[in-house]
This record gives sequence, C-alpha cells and structure tokens, in this order.
Amino acid sequence: MIPQEAQYRDWMLAALVGDAAAYRMLLQGLTRHLRGYYARRLGPAAAEDAVQETLIAIHSRRATYDSTRPFTAWVYGIARYKLVDEFRRNKRNAAVPLDEAGELFVADEAEAASAKRDVEKLLAKLPAAKRELVRAIKLEGHSIADEAARTGMSETSVKVTVHRALKTLGDEVGGNNADR
Amino acid sequence: MQTDDLIAHLTGKLEPVRGTEVARVLGTGLVVGMLGSALLMAATIGIRHDIVDAMGGGAFWLKFVYTFVIAALGLKLVERVGRPGTDATVPALLIAIPIFVLMAMMAMQMMPADDAARHTLLMGHSADVCSVLIAALALPLFGGLFWSLRKLAPTRLTQAGAAAGLLAGSAAATIYAFHCTESTATFIAIWYTAGIALTTLMGAALGRFLLRW
Repeated sequence: MIPQEAQYRDWMLAALVGDAAAYRMLLQGLTRHLRGYYARRLGPAAAEDAVQETLIAIHSRRATYDSTRPFTAWVYGIARYKLVDEFRRNKRNAAVPLDEAGELFVADEAEAASAKRDVEKLLAKLPAAKRELVRAIKLEGHSIADEAARTGMSETSVKVTVHRALKTLGDEVGGNNADR
Repeated sequence: MQTDDLIAHLTGKLEPVRGTEVARVLGTGLVVGMLGSALLMAATIGIRHDIVDAMGGGAFWLKFVYTFVIAALGLKLVERVGRPGTDATVPALLIAIPIFVLMAMMAMQMMPADDAARHTLLMGHSADVCSVLIAALALPLFGGLFWSLRKLAPTRLTQAGAAAGLLAGSAAATIYAFHCTESTATFIAIWYTAGIALTTLMGAALGRFLLRW
C-alpha cells in the first residue's frame, strides 16, 4: 500500500461530488509526484508539458475512477499511459518498464525520509526538556494547553520556550529560517 | 500556461460526477451497436423463417446461452479495461469456462460418431460463412464499443481493443443465432468460437490505432 493512498483517495472522493478545495489539494499533491516521474524519464524540458497533459486527462476522465479500487493505481495507470503516448509521438522506441504505482510516489517519500533525519539531527542539539516540547507541539501536533498540563508549566512559558527553541534551531541552520 | 494556472482553471470548473457515468457510456455504445447489428442482419440475410418453432427447441438456446455468457463476461472485461489501474485477469480467465463446457459437449458428440457423421457435425451446411458473417455483423458493435472506450480511459490499447472485439463478436453471434439454422454443439463450438476469436484478433490489431485518447 502506498502511504499517500488514504489521503489522496479521500480528496478524490470529495472532488467527485464537487468539493473544489479537496480537488485543488489533490491536483497540487499529484503535480509534485508527476513532475518527478516525468523529469526522470523525459528530461525536465518535456516534463512540464507531460504533467499538464496528465492533469487534464485526470480531470476529463475522473468518472472512470472506481472508488472500490486504489486511487494511486488509477493515477499511475494514466501517468504511464501518457508516458507511452509521449514516446510513441516522438517515435522513440523506448521500452516503458512495467514498474508499479510505487514508482510515481517514490521521490516524495525519499525526500520526506531525509527531511525527517535532518530534523532529528537538529533536535538533538536542544536540551532534553525543550526538545520534548518542540517535538510534542510542532511535530506530533499536541496543543499548547495539553503540554502545559503535562509539564506543569504555564501556557505562556510553554509558548515562550518553544519559540526560543525554534529560534536556536534557526540560528543553527544559519539564517532567518526560524519562522519556518 | 503555468501548471498552477491550469490547476486553478480545472478546479474552477469542477462539477460533480455521477457514479453511473461509465455504465451510461458503455450501455450507449453497446445498445446502439446491437441495434445496428440487428438491423444489418434483418436487411441482408434475415431472420430464419421458423424462428418461433426454433425457440421451442434446445439448439437455439444452446447458441443463445453460449454467446450470451461470453458477451456478459466480455462486458465486464470492457468495463475493466476502460478504467486505469484495474486488473482484468479474472473475467478474462472466466471466459475459458463456457468454451470448455461446449468443447466437452462437442467431444461427447464426436466420439461415438463415424467419419461421415463427424464430417457432418463439423461442417454443418454453413461452415464456410458462419464465422465471416459473425465478424461482419460485429462491425456496428465495433463502432459503438470503440466510441465508448474512447470516452473512458483505456491505458493498454491492444488489450482494450481485444476486449471490445470479444464483446462485439459474442454480441453479434447472439444476434446471428436468430438467423442460423445449425443445431449441433460441435458446429457451435467450432464456428461460433472461431467467429468470436476472429473479432477479438481484429480488435487487438486495431486498438492501438483507434483507441488513443
């Protein structure tokens, strides 16, 4: 199972009943995967055209998605078809590998994994108490109130501590990235 | 156009999609194709004159059920190949079952028969035209089903063409059963199956040229 499957499928099902916001998230997410997929196979110059053609195909053929089947396999089927079509049009006789849907979603994952390693390295530079607060609030999504209750600090000092910790980390990576 | 603009454009004109859209498109192509095929037959070779009597006997229904079952599986197959990322292996393998059953019936007819009787069983009185007529009657169905598939999203065009050809041939054979006066399992197992095989091959050959979208 591809990790993005559940999220993308939810967006797709919402889009099929007319939810434009979910549809935008879906297309923006897919664009990132498609760019990587086509850039690796067609080169960066031709990739953007292929991405756009695929987005149009996804849009005009969206009724062919069967909600009982994996969404990522459906998108991959279209992306692969457009790749073959591109080769055919340019009379390039390249064999398109019979790879699987994972191919399309691979780049994002590798990036996410390496970003995660970087964050852990940075966090290791903080004192333990601060590190736990940053991890709980910024990475795991706990609320400030929760953490205040857990640690016995006031909400204000939780906020200040986290803010200062992020600033330290920002200085660590050199520059004005503290707000990111 | 920038990709972000394209996304905004597509998002802006998003409309809800009915869950029955694929069935509507396939149903339209199939029904129009079958009507065309039936009219083509009525205008040329006609319906057998004793059709009412024939419908009281087993031979007509053997032809009808055999081709109808293959057509039903063919419809499932076409629906699968029209949707990206969907596997069509199971309905494709199931098609072997009716063919196997009829081959078994053929073996039971052929084994006890002597050479002359075997020849009659195999050739009937229309062996030279049966498969060709089925393929000709399949032409309107080809048109309808290829139209449908082009509105869906076939991603493996040879497979998709073969599936459409199989459905076109088996639906045409169901119609042809109203004309044909042959009455043995052996004849049907050979010549009806050959007609359907012929249209399947035609579809496979044409798919990559006619099904691009």
